[in-house]
Amino acid sequence: MTKVKVLLAIASVAMAVGLWSALTAPTDTLQGDFTRIINIHAPSMWLAFLAFGLTALGSGMWLLRKQMGWDRLAAASAELGVMFTAIGLFTGMVWGQAVWGRAWDWGDWRLSTTAVMFFVYIGYLALRGATPDPTVRARRSAVLGVIAVIQVPLVYFSVNLFRTLHQTQSIRPDGVTMPREMSIAILINVIAYTILYVALLVARIEVAKIEETRATETALAGDAVKPPRLSEVKDV
Amino acid sequence: MSFWSQSLEIARVDLTVERRLGDTMRIVLPFAVVALLVFPLTLGVDLTAISQLGPAVFWAIGILFGMQVALRQAAHDDQERRDLYALLGVDPAARFAGRTISGAVLMLGFLAVLLAAMIVLYSPRLPEGWVGPVVLSSLLVAVGLTELGTLAGEVTAGLHNRTALASLLVAPLALPLVIGASQTLEALARDASILPWLLILVATDLTLAIAGVGLARPLEEASR
Repeated sequence: MTKVKVLLAIASVAMAVGLWSALTAPTDTLQGDFTRIINIHAPSMWLAFLAFGLTALGSGMWLLRKQMGWDRLAAASAELGVMFTAIGLFTGMVWGQAVWGRAWDWGDWRLSTTAVMFFVYIGYLALRGATPDPTVRARRSAVLGVIAVIQVPLVYFSVNLFRTLHQTQSIRPDGVTMPREMSIAILINVIAYTILYVALLVARIEVAKIEETRATETALAGDAVKPPRLSEVKDV
Repeated sequence: MSFWSQSLEIARVDLTVERRLGDTMRIVLPFAVVALLVFPLTLGVDLTAISQLGPAVFWAIGILFGMQVALRQAAHDDQERRDLYALLGVDPAARFAGRTISGAVLMLGFLAVLLAAMIVLYSPRLPEGWVGPVVLSSLLVAVGLTELGTLAGEVTAGLHNRTALASLLVAPLALPLVIGASQTLEALARDASILPWLLILVATDLTLAIAGVGLARPLEEASR
């Protein structure tokens, strides 16, 4: 648990630096302080993609190796991915309300595909919750974890496939389309959020290990009742 | 028996069961047509809006109810039948392929009747030369949705909340199919190329087919 505490302490410092860089970065002339939301929104969505990618990796590795560690990684990462997608959706809606004049735009494919991706992984977590046996749960969710990841490229490339309200990627291989100071602030936050993700992932995996140990140690109804020995039974 | 012989035999058995039970054509299809009827009632007598929304409503209802067709197919596959196939040495991948073939045939029939009902009820203004692209996109949607339904059915086999859970898994994953199918007709109306949308459908079908065949054995083990 010391490892988790150290990681969480590092993540707290990184998040404080990220917050400071977001608050001191220059803002857009038209959007004002609402520009700063992008420092939460962009890292959250990046981490959602990373988390779901790791869920697929953990799922694939479980199918190959059948080691519970991969299942724990996949499950923990999916939970965090759902959390970061929720944060990304919420911050995007707040920004959209301020800048576009509406929180949700049905014509925007990035919003719709992200919401759908969110529900795909809600389904993944529901499947895990509905399957009591750990091995069966691991096997079934591994299959779903591998299939569900097909949504991720669709969400990422939706801004290129459909030119609607959401802007295309600001940081591309051919250059950055925003002022340097703003992109540095986003980059610092991406690093800070990634450290937070790693810390939370390690913590969640540790918790999962404890949950598994406790589940095997918990006595079931009827455990105390021993079958009678034939030698003890009289008048058979 | 070869892979394809096994697949076709399983498809034949599935279609025979469906012919005897008639779940799709006697229950799901009438229910879907009722949904087509209910939708305009909520819009009032705005005939222009009803006509414009026709194709979108067709795809929405087609995919939502088609999901039920796909899941019903998987629901017939109980543990006893699974064990029987395993004992007979049927390749799990052939079982997936067979189920996809029978499901796609059923779904195509379901979509064809639903399309005819939509045209009669909504009088939509369909672009010229719509038949070929709609038939092709329907076929691709039928295959993709059946693959998804089969996978979801296997993943949720034996769970007490299987029906609700399988629907929750299939509905969001069917998004590429919804987009591809609806945008094909949109592109045709705008005189734009339909190729990117058909490619999305083909890519989704192929990805699901690879996943279904590749994961068939772990899925079979998972359902025990």
